[in-house]
Amino acid sequence: MNSPEHKLCEDSYFNDFYLTHIQSASNFAFYKCGDKDTALDLVQDAFSKIWENCSKIDFHKAKTYLFTTVNNLFLNTVKHQKVVLKYAKAAPYLDKDNQSPEYLLEEEEFKLKLKNAIADLSDVQREVFLMNRIDGKKYREIAEILNISQKTVEKRMSGALQILRSKIENI
Amino acid sequence: MNKEHDILKWFNKELSEQEIQGLKQSENLETIEKIAHYASQLETPKVDATNALQSFKAKHPAKNVTKVININFKSWLKVAAVLTIMLATSYFLFFNNQRSFVTEMAQTKTINLPDNSEVILNAQSKLTYNKKAWTDEKTWTDHRDLELDGEAFFKVSKGQTFSVNTDAGIVRVLGTQFNVKERNNYFEVHCYEGLVSVTYKNETIKLPKGHIFRVINGTIENFEDLNTLNPSWIQQESSFNKVPLEQIIAELERQYDINIQAKGINTDQLFTGSFTHKDKNTALQSVTVPLKLSYKINGKNVTFYQYNGE
Repeated sequence: MNSPEHKLCEDSYFNDFYLTHIQSASNFAFYKCGDKDTALDLVQDAFSKIWENCSKIDFHKAKTYLFTTVNNLFLNTVKHQKVVLKYAKAAPYLDKDNQSPEYLLEEEEFKLKLKNAIADLSDVQREVFLMNRIDGKKYREIAEILNISQKTVEKRMSGALQILRSKIENI
Repeated sequence: MNKEHDILKWFNKELSEQEIQGLKQSENLETIEKIAHYASQLETPKVDATNALQSFKAKHPAKNVTKVININFKSWLKVAAVLTIMLATSYFLFFNNQRSFVTEMAQTKTINLPDNSEVILNAQSKLTYNKKAWTDEKTWTDHRDLELDGEAFFKVSKGQTFSVNTDAGIVRVLGTQFNVKERNNYFEVHCYEGLVSVTYKNETIKLPKGHIFRVINGTIENFEDLNTLNPSWIQQESSFNKVPLEQIIAELERQYDINIQAKGINTDQLFTGSFTHKDKNTALQSVTVPLKLSYKINGKNVTFYQYNGE
């Protein structure tokens, strides 16, 4: 009879957990370090720790444990570069019907300012903001993953929006 | 700021189309709208999940897989070393006739001795005897010896002198039932049946049925309790008759595997009463309420404090 605490030690269960969260966890790592390979390394190391301690981890909290471990491992790395993301190739403009060259130029300028402004956010603001925008996570889920209160998530989100807006409108 | 709160809700997909339109009318939210739209289009590197899992598994073999050992000289040395250790260990195990029984916190054990005597060991105690001495015809006819550290209840079958050796004193019996308790600064022997002799610091006292010999912090007491048939802890309850609080605290810690702090409380005060082994809160209340104390639990740590106020 398998006690719930040891579920993570079962191959099938662990693999399932791994495949479900690997993209989301490496996104998170990427928001922090800005480098694809570093991000994957961090995540693989985090999964290693989970595998090693599988019998001690409550599988209800495994997701939080995963993200917390990625965070802790990141804090131990020396490399810390500016986190600048790229836009997806097929990115539509806000006004799909407007084809005028002035509009297109204006939008491209905006996108550039936005990209750079995001790189200037604090680590914690950026990760909350991007988890909401790119991963589509609601504040409650973000709070659960990062093991913080929803109010803190909202505060960071609000702070991020203020900074982004002021940076973009003032340039 | 209400507007700020609505913007947060908007980003969290909590607003309906109508509410969003309404929001856009009231303020110039063009920048915010663009931020919401374009930020969602930023990309993260795509991870090939199955590939990543494969390379992960390559570095972390499954837990129950047996490994194939290649035979070479270094391995032979290791094997030889292991064999030697195994031989040495089994030699000691085979020829060592000491039998030991240990109980952990909140655990009791019933042990049957080779002469059909029965011992029930209370929590955090250890009983040791030499099996060969007991079963060898030549030696056991003279005496039945064992060592106790902690507390145990003995039902001794009729036979030769049965001796329980503790650090504090020696208890000898013929055929009887008695309880020996040896803890920190506390040595007690309670005879329930038959006759028991207790040797303490070169003096020997005989205890008939219903008599108790006790030494707490060096003070010797000798008194009667003719009503109890066997110790209460066997019935999952610990009883105390005018015993210093510090001993009760020690037993609570032992039975529930907790850590009790009682700073500022007189632990010399005598307590008469009992507590159950089955429910932590009831047990703590049984001790604290009569002494007008209160307690707080924080995981495995419990703090006793003076109860102030009505």
